[in-house]
Amino acid sequence: MSNDPYHAGTADELPSIEEQLVAYLDGELDDESSRSLEQRLATDSTLRLQLGRLERTWDLLDQLGRAEVGETFTRTTIEMVALAAEQEQRQEEAERPIRRRRRLLGAAAGILASSAAGFVLVWALWPNPNRQLLEDLPVLESLDEYQQIDGIEFLELLHERGVFAGEGDHDGV
Amino acid sequence: MLEVRDDNAAAFEELMLRYQGRVVTVLEHATGNRDLAEDLAQDVFLRMYRARKRYVPGAKFSTWLYTIANNVALNALRSRARRREVTLEGRESGPLGVRPLEAMIAASSGQIPARAADKAEARDVVQMAIQSLNERQRMAVLLSKFEGMSYAEIAESMGLSVQAIKSLLSRARNNLKEVLEPYLDRGQPPASEVGLRPAENEADSIRSEADRD
Repeated sequence: MSNDPYHAGTADELPSIEEQLVAYLDGELDDESSRSLEQRLATDSTLRLQLGRLERTWDLLDQLGRAEVGETFTRTTIEMVALAAEQEQRQEEAERPIRRRRRLLGAAAGILASSAAGFVLVWALWPNPNRQLLEDLPVLESLDEYQQIDGIEFLELLHERGVFAGEGDHDGV
Repeated sequence: MLEVRDDNAAAFEELMLRYQGRVVTVLEHATGNRDLAEDLAQDVFLRMYRARKRYVPGAKFSTWLYTIANNVALNALRSRARRREVTLEGRESGPLGVRPLEAMIAASSGQIPARAADKAEARDVVQMAIQSLNERQRMAVLLSKFEGMSYAEIAESMGLSVQAIKSLLSRARNNLKEVLEPYLDRGQPPASEVGLRPAENEADSIRSEADRD
């Protein structure tokens, strides 16, 4: 490229002084770095030259000018957007019954699920009077015989002596 | 923009009128093609409208708008580059081949007329210099120059870090300097109303400044 000492390396490996100069011109350098750079610029004419070139070529970009946009552009753009708005509205209206159905189905599913959960909960927790009867059934079937015995200790004595051997084992009896 | 978000059509039109020239300017210089720039600008405003519900209050509108513009421009430039790959080889981007910078420097130093360059020629030279940059460098330069955006705003619009933007702009501006220096040194500046000093006096002042030290 050139023998510029600030241009060491390839174009892809610009030293940081290049970045500092550009950032300085753009007002993006912090105060401390700006002061440090200004001190260098004060004593380094090559650096000042480089800064000047950067500034002048940046100013040249004003030659590009700013676009003037005609009414046709404005009108056609607004028409495009109006068309998009209409399409959006039509799509929304088309989807409304589908969304309503989904909401109703969702609500129905929710009610069903809640009911099922409630049923299961009540069934699990509510005391079942029949349960106790079922447990006591063996005793009830032989109630007449048991009423002839005074106490449980006599039954336990008969059981120890093997009187009930061979009969089914009734828990709790 | 908040009113546009709430489907206020008049607000959208006002916003568009305020920004359409600026968006077309950036896109024209990014693509080098006015007609394409207008098409892309319409795409930008359409996307802006479609994305209006996602606009976050408090975010700077221009940064958001140019995020969309940057995406639209880069997509267009890349698909244009892909189409050109069919007939030309070895080009990553830009119309000047594998080494656009060197081509531009040669063009600038050899072809610029010695006589005073009129405004149209100056504009052409600068436009070619801009086109010699790659897409990201070009967009960063345009957002900085024409929109006055800060590095942080450009970074947000382009989806890059601030340091990446700093490097990008540094390379871009140094590339522009190399391309346009021969023009500055040899040709007359454009018409005086743009405020440039005459190139011959400028060249002399540069030489005498260097001699002094």
